[in-house]
Amino acid sequence: MILFWQSLINGLLLGGIYAACSAGFSLAFGVMGVVNLSHGDFVMLGAFITYWIFILAGIDPFLTLPFTLLILFFLGFFLQRLTINRLVGSPPIMSYLLTFGFHLVLSNLALRAWTADFRTVQTSYSGLTISFAGLVIPYSRLATFIMAMAVILGLYFLLYRTETGRLIRATAQDREMAQLMGVKIFKIYTLTFALAAAITGLAGSLISFTFVIHPQMGLPFTITAFCVVVLGGMGYVPGTLWGGIILGLVESLATTYLTAGISVAITFFLLLIILVTRPQGILGKGVVE
Amino acid sequence: MKKPGKNLRSFSAGLLVLSCLFCISPQGITHAEQPYRIGFTVPLTGAFGKDGALVKDAYVFWQETVNAQGGIAVKKKRYPVELIYYDDKSEPQSSAKLVEKLITEDKVDLILGGFGSSQVIAASAVSEKFRYPMTCGAASTLKLFDRGFQYYFSLLGKAPEEVRGCIEILPTLTPRPTTAAILGANIPFSADAADGFKAYAPQFGIKVIHFELFPMALIDYNSLLHKVKGKKPDVLLVGSHSLVAIRVMKGLKEVDFTPQGVFFSYGPTVPDFLNSLAKDGEYVFAASEWTPNLPYRDNVFGTAKNFYHKYVKRFGRPPDFVEAASVAGALVQLQALQELEFTPPLKDADREKIMKYFYSKRFDNFYGPIRFGPDGANEIHPPVVVQVQGGKLVHVFPPDTAEGKPVYPMKPWKKR
Repeated sequence: MILFWQSLINGLLLGGIYAACSAGFSLAFGVMGVVNLSHGDFVMLGAFITYWIFILAGIDPFLTLPFTLLILFFLGFFLQRLTINRLVGSPPIMSYLLTFGFHLVLSNLALRAWTADFRTVQTSYSGLTISFAGLVIPYSRLATFIMAMAVILGLYFLLYRTETGRLIRATAQDREMAQLMGVKIFKIYTLTFALAAAITGLAGSLISFTFVIHPQMGLPFTITAFCVVVLGGMGYVPGTLWGGIILGLVESLATTYLTAGISVAITFFLLLIILVTRPQGILGKGVVE
Repeated sequence: MKKPGKNLRSFSAGLLVLSCLFCISPQGITHAEQPYRIGFTVPLTGAFGKDGALVKDAYVFWQETVNAQGGIAVKKKRYPVELIYYDDKSEPQSSAKLVEKLITEDKVDLILGGFGSSQVIAASAVSEKFRYPMTCGAASTLKLFDRGFQYYFSLLGKAPEEVRGCIEILPTLTPRPTTAAILGANIPFSADAADGFKAYAPQFGIKVIHFELFPMALIDYNSLLHKVKGKKPDVLLVGSHSLVAIRVMKGLKEVDFTPQGVFFSYGPTVPDFLNSLAKDGEYVFAASEWTPNLPYRDNVFGTAKNFYHKYVKRFGRPPDFVEAASVAGALVQLQALQELEFTPPLKDADREKIMKYFYSKRFDNFYGPIRFGPDGANEIHPPVVVQVQGGKLVHVFPPDTAEGKPVYPMKPWKKR
């Protein structure tokens, strides 16, 4: 029975990580309809920013979060302003091509700058755990989970409780109508993508405690984000929390009670079932066109 | 105008002598312009980018050493070595295409092997088609040896054989382990290594209580390791590459699981392992095929220790055993060129003779004994076991050549 509870805890904590890494993807898709194939590379950049600040300046990884937020915000801002804004209204394939290009450029620049070395953030509390009733919880994962919840709640608050959020949602619902109502949609798009990049980078910083950092680490997170967003509902940001947790739980329970080999297959099988039977996501609030 | 004085005549004569000396080495060997063009593909990006970069470094080191000695001496001339290489991005299909490009477009004389069983399987199929002998020190899956190929030669033993030392050491440890859990990444080399652990364990009184292969796509190992922890094995044996080995160690600490011993088929000997894990990598055992304290030697590098020191001086880090094996493969090709007296550019018939030459004799160099069996595997290279002790790799098995004793059992995470 302990193994079952442990598996649930593992799945929940992993789900929090998945949710944090996917919220930005959902935001960019929901508002602009952009499937950002370089999403995982923003995760990678966030992880590297934390790593280098920690190594070079000796600053605790949690204190690097504002730096990551700021750097990725401006990266997203400029990428959107200079390139993606020009594709608004174009067929989706154009955004796939462009963001796939970003993926190639970012991952190869990272490779050139930092080589293919595998790196980890090793703090004095890395890998330390809390144990109770035979269950083990790593501090870093728990902290990552809490931060992930805070990020998603913050994003929810921004979108649903502020004027800016209202403008973002209005633009997402009907671009032309929002424009007619005086919303400067290109500014909203730029802000949205910058915000998406910033929270994705933040997630990257958070996972740097847990995962191995290297320039090619991004792509699996893009794929994971895609699965999470489909499960939670495409374009419905709060749904990423549910999507992430479901994915984490399924992966963890499948690994525990079946085999690790089949857990990845089950994840994609689940994705297939949701796409066929409930394309608007588990909560039924996603965008289906 | 003054006639040239005695000093000037002496100077001119000296210059002439120096010029001759520059062109003719002390053995009366002249330098040739035409280089041996030697090609290879390695992963410099992708999942095996780091491991592949080690192999590239190894070949560059070999080239620099040989060229610093004037080049490869054949028929009283010295020919420099020119390396041509490409990044296969850890993709087997790229590796195959690039080897074909090396042969058909770059017109290389010889081919060296890359890194990773999947890549080398694809690359060696092309070199076989074009009848280029390929020596490889960084791939050892069984699939490489059951194809009936004639032109593929491995400096390493077969993957299951590579991990034999990790099982042989177990009965010598105190308290003697009796149970093992085996995990492995489900890719050619790692899966074969896991199978090797599984095959040898019962022969040495070890009961396998858990065996599981997992996909490379799995990035979180905590649930898997919790499951294994619940079965309480004495030792954990892992078929791995460096990324897998780092993930396993991070996971073991996160799930607070300390088996008495952890053994990897590959990974801890790659510098990144200790660079990234630091003290968390302590006490880990790894299969190896070479350590610098072994009593091997040759004419190019001198002793194994010399090779080690020169390598550290050049790259600022110790060589991994796959780097030693890769250089040894290049040395074997060099030896073939010298003994068969083939000068560049090589012809197809020359390469066929090199292939036959490889099968015909035993080689000995700083890497140790090499004899290629009918399937191309190195039949006589003994596997060794190393352990991380005090942040360094210490050769701990077999005892007759070991430089230190194994530290066992591992200290629990919470007592470190």
